[in-house]
Amino acid sequence: MAAVLFWVFSCVSIGAVLAMILSRHPAHAALWLVLAFASLGGLFGLLAAPFVAVVQIIIYAGAIMVLFLFVLMTIDAKAGIPGEKRTFALAAAIVLALLLLAEIGLAARSLLLAPAAAVSDSIKTAAIGRLLFEKYLYPFEITSLLIMAALVGAVALVKKKDGA
Amino acid sequence: MTLPTAVFPLAVTAFGAIAVLLLDAFGKRDSKTPLAVLSLMILAASAVLAGRLWGRSAFGFGGLMRLDDAAILVSMIVLLAAAFTVLLGWQWNRRLDAAFGEFYGLLLLAAAGLMIMAQTADLLVVFLGLEVFSVSAYGLTGLKRNDDKASEAAVKYFLIGSFAGAFMVFGLAILFGLNESFGITQTAACLGTGLPAQLGFGFLLAGLGFKLALVPFHMWAPDVYEGAPTPIAGFFSIAPKAAGFLVLSRLVAAVPKDVWKGLPIFPFLYAVAAATLIIGNLAALRQKNLKRLLAYSSISHAGTMLIAVLAGDGASLLFYLAVYLFMGLGAFAALTAMSAPGREYVHLDDFAGAGFRYPWIGAIFTVLLLSLAGFPPTGGFLAKFLVFSAGVRAGLVPLVVLGVVTSLIAVAYYLRVIVAMYMRDPAPGVDIEAENPPALLVLFLGLVGVLQLGLFPANILHFIRQAAASIF
Repeated sequence: MAAVLFWVFSCVSIGAVLAMILSRHPAHAALWLVLAFASLGGLFGLLAAPFVAVVQIIIYAGAIMVLFLFVLMTIDAKAGIPGEKRTFALAAAIVLALLLLAEIGLAARSLLLAPAAAVSDSIKTAAIGRLLFEKYLYPFEITSLLIMAALVGAVALVKKKDGA
Repeated sequence: MTLPTAVFPLAVTAFGAIAVLLLDAFGKRDSKTPLAVLSLMILAASAVLAGRLWGRSAFGFGGLMRLDDAAILVSMIVLLAAAFTVLLGWQWNRRLDAAFGEFYGLLLLAAAGLMIMAQTADLLVVFLGLEVFSVSAYGLTGLKRNDDKASEAAVKYFLIGSFAGAFMVFGLAILFGLNESFGITQTAACLGTGLPAQLGFGFLLAGLGFKLALVPFHMWAPDVYEGAPTPIAGFFSIAPKAAGFLVLSRLVAAVPKDVWKGLPIFPFLYAVAAATLIIGNLAALRQKNLKRLLAYSSISHAGTMLIAVLAGDGASLLFYLAVYLFMGLGAFAALTAMSAPGREYVHLDDFAGAGFRYPWIGAIFTVLLLSLAGFPPTGGFLAKFLVFSAGVRAGLVPLVVLGVVTSLIAVAYYLRVIVAMYMRDPAPGVDIEAENPPALLVLFLGLVGVLQLGLFPANILHFIRQAAASIF
């Protein structure tokens, strides 16, 4: 069962990333990326890392994607990259891709050489929960204050005149 | 389970902010006076609760919250600044069409964020407190929604502030990776260990530098001060400085004395202080808009405070902050008083002849400007004197010389305002609504504070020394 799911998630994520790169419209690309993130989350789940899986979906597929779409809303999505900048964009993309490849290579080498470690306590959901509500309770509570300040500030900025 | 008493001052301010917001949402809509009164009561209660812990160093949340004497003093400065801002906004908000209940709620939240920053020795909590302040500050900056300048200021502040926040998180991540702790003591101890620690610390300082408006991270300050409601600009000029400089001096104090001057961070901060003094004062010379002038003036004062941090002298830093609370916010009170329904007069030409037309505003504003320039017998003189002598004791002679020279340059732009008020013919078309008791009260308190701290500083210096001893 796990093997089947692994292949399904892997194929879906690779296919979604390909579709993201190949789709012309930025908004479509962003939506394909959501699918890629979701199937990556599934892969993390299969690796017995439920917390990473959930965070992958909540933060990447949820919060980061909203930010992406928000930026897309503010730019002219149809225009694409102007011609004179295309070569520059291509060169930058190639350099970044090579850097990423080197990084993954280094990480993989050190992981393959090291003996397989047991899943450490620190990534188990229960342990994280305990940390969050015991050691880091105060920062956690401040975060709620932060979110409230953001909400009130946003409402204050968009509110119609005279509180109507 | 009994709650630790250390939580109360912050809890009162934070829950008070929620109460004010609820009262605004469900209370009467036509008058904002109950909100202002409630805010003042909350701020007073919080200050009393904090004052009761003086000399006892209370802790909460497993040590993440640390209410030592320095934290209490800075919290008092922040609370007093917020109370002054409430008083200034009382009439101003109605006149300038920014009469929103969110003014008070966001102001209390901003004060709570700064108290969080001051009352800890943990960098993660510092960051979160700073963000609570910043996020409320973005909202406060843009309160005048029908004003292009205000929208521009809010967007600029938001973008640059987010950028600074990202810098800080990056620095914190590097430092946490190095020593698996956010504690200021542990972080400072790893500073001498190599390049990654220096880099992380540099990012952290850059983030703090943005919020404190130190050169070269100051570009946002004049625009934000100009666009923000005038009372809020006054709050920005002192409150974040008080909390930010306390954090900075906690960091510096935690670094062992023998390695401190050998670290690359030291020349970096040295250069920042020099640049802040020079650019802040030179740029202020060219300003015709008094809000922008006071913005650059507050940048240059931040440079002087940085000398105290570099010298490792907490007492002169805290005294400077206490004096700046009265003279900085007092100066903004004078600008706030120069307003009429639908318009405010903050251009230098608007102040021409104001000294004779509005004798009270003119006279007190003159004393406050002299204090900002550092003339005896005001508090501004004594504050500068204490900082400079601490700098000399710590061997920072070139920086102190630069501080003295730039202070002399500063006299030029402060005196220009006074000359305009008393030696030029009254400006046509300036017609302020003089009836503004709360703002005049703040002006008066500013005058009292500046003279009290300048003439009879002994009592307060006693408390400040006690507070400085607890920084670390």
